Amino acid sequence: MEEKVSDLGRFSDPALFILVSLAGGEKHGYAMMEDIEAVCGARLGPGTLYGALARLEKRGLVEPLSSDDRRKPYRITAAGSSALEGRLTEIEGFARAGLGRLATA
Amino acid sequence: MWPARRLVRLYPRAWRERYEEEFVALLEERPASLFDLQDIALGALDAWLRPQVALERRVRGMIGRMRNSVLLVLWAWVGVVVAGVGFQKMTEYEDFARAARQNITIGAAFDAVVVGALLALAAVLVGGLPIAFAAVRGALAEGRKDVPLLLCVPPLSLAAFVGYVLLVGKVVCPVVGCTTVQSLVNVVLFLSIAGVFMLAAVASAASVSVAVRRSEVGENIYRFALYPAGLAALAMVVVSTATVVWGLALWVQAPALFTGDDGILATSTVATWLVVLAVMGGSTCVAVAAVVRGLRAGRTVETSP
Repeated sequence: MEEKVSDLGRFSDPALFILVSLAGGEKHGYAMMEDIEAVCGARLGPGTLYGALARLEKRGLVEPLSSDDRRKPYRITAAGSSALEGRLTEIEGFARAGLGRLATA
Repeated sequence: MWPARRLVRLYPRAWRERYEEEFVALLEERPASLFDLQDIALGALDAWLRPQVALERRVRGMIGRMRNSVLLVLWAWVGVVVAGVGFQKMTEYEDFARAARQNITIGAAFDAVVVGALLALAAVLVGGLPIAFAAVRGALAEGRKDVPLLLCVPPLSLAAFVGYVLLVGKVVCPVVGCTTVQSLVNVVLFLSIAGVFMLAAVASAASVSVAVRRSEVGENIYRFALYPAGLAALAMVVVSTATVVWGLALWVQAPALFTGDDGILATSTVATWLVVLAVMGGSTCVAVAAVVRGLRAGRTVETSP
């Protein structure tokens, strides 16, 4: 069954931010936080970041890469890319419908 | 400076084993803030309430328990088979067969032993074959040969045992002359057959256990296998109980036969019966305990959030 980012409860948004960040290339935790703040304008705390990361890893949407550094990099998996695409398409449709209603109001 | 290690201690052990190093590295890279402290405290609370790492480990542990339970039932069944062969060897003597024909209790108890043994065999096959198929399929998908080779040990052991019995019966005995039951040659040959049989039984159970432990078999297959395992344990209870009834009925109905020396290799009948009973009873207790433990583990996996 395909995993959905929106199934992660209060971690849905942080998980979406992480997937968007990793879609731009592999990153470790601190780089993800910086990237998310720059791209999404959201500031994730360390507890939230790792709460979402653990859920994404458990569902096979991201995977850790081996590293000699203590800072372990992560990358998005094929399932993660598919889930991200699905979620962004939903948001795109939602945004288009909302903007359309605003235009005709 | 972050008291990073101290903060990470708020998280569960399983979480720390997986994420501690990188989490501490992250905390050391940024200045402390009250927002972060509160976020870490809430993250730790979430890790305790909805464990992502611990849950997986717990489920794996429970699957491991189900697997061990199924394997223990296999070992217990081997124990009952070994004892049952001893019982069969003793009762093939004509006086016992006659007692079974003449007395309904002895006859019914003997029949119950046979039916229980067949039922246990069928249950072991029904529960074990899906596990064996899953193990072989997984091994072949990974290009591994160890698991299929290990699963070849039971049929090869059986073939080796049958071959040895034929060799002794058709070749060795006619040459050396196995005339009297308690002759040294006869005792040695009988003990060698018993030794080969036990070696084959232990090698078979051990090879299956190693093969299954090396394989990734799904929890649903183990959960299914627990029901035939339960049936096998029930059949072992029937076999053990029937063996008790058989001995007690023989004691009452044919005391001379029961207290005589018609056991294996013309030893005491009572002693042979008691040894058979001890092995059967012990194995049956192990099987019942293993099934109860396995079913509890299966229920825990089902009810995990």
